[in-house]
Amino acid sequence: MAVDELQAIIQRCQILEEADFKGEDFNLFLVAGQKCLEDGYAAQLLEVIKNEKNKVIIKNMGWNLISPLVRCIFMYKQEDDKRELCLKILDQLAQLCNPKELFLGLLEQIEQTSGEQVCQTVMLLLQPLQTVLLKLENKKAYSVGLSLAMIMNQLAPLPVPYTKQQIQEDKLGLCQCCNAVVDFAKPFVNEVVKNMEELPENNDMELKEELLKFCMKSLKHPLLTAQFEQIEDIEEHPFRHFAAEITDILWDIRELIPLVFLHHKGKSSHWENQEFADIEQKNSADSLACLSYLMFVQHFGMDHFPMVFSPSYLLQCNMTHIEVLLKSFFSAPHLQDLFESCLLRMEDNSLLHQYLEFRDFINVPQDLVKVMTLCPIEHLRKKSLNILQLFIDKFDTEGKYTLFRCLLKTSNHAGVEGYIIKNIKDQIHLSLTGTHDNIWFTGHHLISLLDLVLLLPEGAETDLLQNSDRIMASLNLLRYLVIKDSESDNQTGVWAALARIEQNFLKPLHVGLNMSKAHYEAEIKSKKENRREAHNPNTVCSVTVSGEKMPAMTTEMQLQVLHSALFTFDLIESVLARVEELIEVKLKAVMDE
Amino acid sequence: QVVKKEGSGTESPMIGDKVTVHYTGWLLDGTKFDSSLDRRDKFSFDLGKGEVIKAWDIAVATMKVGEICRITCKPEYAYGSAGSPPKIPPNATLIFEVKLFDFKREDLTDDEDGGIIRRIRKKGEGYSKPNEGALVEIQLEGRHGERVFDRRELRFEIGEGESYDLPHGLEKAIQKMEKSEESVFYLKPSYGFGSAGKEKFQIPPDAELQYEVKLKSFEKAKESWEMNTDEKLEQSCIVKERGTQYFKEGKYKRAALQYKKIVSWLEHESGLSEEEDVKAKSLRLAAHLNLAMCHLKLKEYSQALENCNKALELDSNNEKGLFRRGEAHLAVNDFELARGDFLKLIQLYPSNKAAKVQLVTCQQKIKEQHEKEKKMYANMFQRLADKDLKSSATIPTSHTEDAEMKDEQNGVEDKSEVDTEA
Repeated sequence: MAVDELQAIIQRCQILEEADFKGEDFNLFLVAGQKCLEDGYAAQLLEVIKNEKNKVIIKNMGWNLISPLVRCIFMYKQEDDKRELCLKILDQLAQLCNPKELFLGLLEQIEQTSGEQVCQTVMLLLQPLQTVLLKLENKKAYSVGLSLAMIMNQLAPLPVPYTKQQIQEDKLGLCQCCNAVVDFAKPFVNEVVKNMEELPENNDMELKEELLKFCMKSLKHPLLTAQFEQIEDIEEHPFRHFAAEITDILWDIRELIPLVFLHHKGKSSHWENQEFADIEQKNSADSLACLSYLMFVQHFGMDHFPMVFSPSYLLQCNMTHIEVLLKSFFSAPHLQDLFESCLLRMEDNSLLHQYLEFRDFINVPQDLVKVMTLCPIEHLRKKSLNILQLFIDKFDTEGKYTLFRCLLKTSNHAGVEGYIIKNIKDQIHLSLTGTHDNIWFTGHHLISLLDLVLLLPEGAETDLLQNSDRIMASLNLLRYLVIKDSESDNQTGVWAALARIEQNFLKPLHVGLNMSKAHYEAEIKSKKENRREAHNPNTVCSVTVSGEKMPAMTTEMQLQVLHSALFTFDLIESVLARVEELIEVKLKAVMDE
Repeated sequence: QVVKKEGSGTESPMIGDKVTVHYTGWLLDGTKFDSSLDRRDKFSFDLGKGEVIKAWDIAVATMKVGEICRITCKPEYAYGSAGSPPKIPPNATLIFEVKLFDFKREDLTDDEDGGIIRRIRKKGEGYSKPNEGALVEIQLEGRHGERVFDRRELRFEIGEGESYDLPHGLEKAIQKMEKSEESVFYLKPSYGFGSAGKEKFQIPPDAELQYEVKLKSFEKAKESWEMNTDEKLEQSCIVKERGTQYFKEGKYKRAALQYKKIVSWLEHESGLSEEEDVKAKSLRLAAHLNLAMCHLKLKEYSQALENCNKALELDSNNEKGLFRRGEAHLAVNDFELARGDFLKLIQLYPSNKAAKVQLVTCQQKIKEQHEKEKKMYANMFQRLADKDLKSSATIPTSHTEDAEMKDEQNGVEDKSEVDTEA
């Protein structure tokens, strides 16, 4: 019987000295203990462990039982008495066993779990782990660090619950587990705080560093991709709680504010090797960006943040984070709120154009444009467009001018270009109707900008359909200029540049229109003729969308498309005609004077 | 706006100094919204750099050490119409009580060892600063104690300071200056002329120096979209000169960097007038040809090849282009292709002697390779046959035969390298 075997080995070891315990003794103990548990004799095992006389034995050999113990606990149901007994055994082991060995045993157990069992195992073992760690004398900081790192690594591959339902369900237990880990860390945080207060000079950095690493890891996962919107039925949103706790820890160990400015102030890291420093910086980029989001958008930890910084400085500091967050736009679009929130703190026209000299101030709008054009979800595209407009509005006029030039040259997307051109028109309007002189949107600066606007990228061969947004916007702009600015005034300088505009823009546009119309009309004609002949089932090319082959376009549909193209050309042509008419009228009026 | 209370100390901090204060802030209705005392941590920031709200930058600059000051800030000098969520509402007037504890001169060194201290006399414009390799124009006056030992206006490139008798601490300092900035720098000996001193200026060893510098202008690396076509063509000419200079000095990597700029600026430039187009094409051609040469010198053969191809796209019968491509092919043992290039060269430019020499080399190499291959395959079959007959005894012999093979190959490769350099 299992219990007898256990008793046998116990009795044998009772008489031995600690140093004389042999490998086979350990083995026999383990086997016997394991068998007891499996056969349901947990109560007896508990007795044996509690027995004072066996203290030394348990101290040395107890840690081996962790593995079978955990297995058993998961075997039994929640209400089962035996489970209670096992938990008690676990507790006793934590008290009695050699801390170093038990620590390794617990850690090993955590390392070996995977998938659905991870959170359950971790939550089970956190209490004994904490007890053990508090008992360790030297190397405590290292062990705490190791445990936290191990746990976070195990949690990292788990998916983060996103919807209300997922959070409530918490199928894998991630929400619960995270908060349990934070509670687990609390005594160590308190220790660091105490150390800092009592001996401010002798800062025992190690434990603090480990806690810092833990916070950074949590910021990356799960906090980076978690949702923070308040949920009606849940009293305490688990991730909001977790985020609040993490920021509190950072504040307690006095790292909260330094972290916000870390990348900006450019403090060099401790690594000798530049390569390692680069890696560290890359890894921390996500975490720091998440921290900024938590603080400035969700207002965690804002109680402690000094309220004296200027909004443009805050934007400057946050630009690197915004750039990082834009890159993870598709996985966590709510993070763009950081950009929005920083911009909303500023007044219009207050951002100095010199800020564009910073690399990230140029990269961010370009990244934003990429999102705007590539994201498949419509409301997110709209949102990014709003943010871009907000960004443009905050700059002073020279800044706007430079930004427009930049985006016109780099966006490579007709829709975006059209949008920018519209912005330019608005700025010109402001400068013509406003009180103070605006040198950037009148005169020769404007002409230089117009050179970029009023042109066809490939001359007469430009694909008019693809660029129709841009061309229409340009024509509208030209029409506005011609109407608003009289030739005598020539405030915008457009009349002086008229000849060039005609040559680079208007003439090629005419040619292009004629060519395109002719081409499409010929296509329509030939399609109509082909229709009379037999259907040709062999298509020259087929289109596949999301793995499904699109049905071949019927001739009707093809004709429809061609007709709508013609319609677009007509539209362009009519505006073009109107513009030329206006020009002629104005020129005539001047000549008649 | 400002209502003072007490004061002591003598000097006020200047722009760029790091100031340390304790403060408490209230809204008009008396709600306290922030205090460094609650955090039990003094607050530090760099004065005059726009890091804090305008009211602070103005007020703190007038304070003296030990002074306590109570300032009332209108929204335009604080957070304006946007406010600062969550605590400060829009259009809020704020009241601060600030005590100035300390201010430290700005330390520009990486390790904060006080080796380079700056005091800004006049703030500069913009935010960009010269970086390594930028051409700067400065006015300087160097002092040792009371004596002025160096006073001049000069233009130089960051990194070359030593050849202009400038201590490296000064170069570092200039890299942190903004355009039109005027500052005074205090250099400790290790950032100055060190233990060697400077005979030319009669500076003794371990001397502390003081330099007053005005940064008049510096070359900014402008982006492609920042410049219009004229600027690009102009800069390209300048940059080409620079590149050629580096090339003559054997600094191939730097030369390559310059030529690469020309390519990136002009490659996709559109909307050029005829005249501009011609100019751009010739600059691009020169850039690609020179880049090819640099890469050949740096033994980066695939890049050399790429540039030759691009050059030949612009001008398919370009003599230098063909020659350099041939060389590149030769260097990577593409003998057939090399021969093709050299043959074409000789056809088009019969007077090109070098090409003739290379052609001969190619023929030779091709022949050698054929011989080698013949031998290798012949031996291979022989060895296989031998192997079948004997068993373990043949293995050592085939090893030595392999070794012989390798030696031969190495010998051939070495020879080819020597040829291309010639």
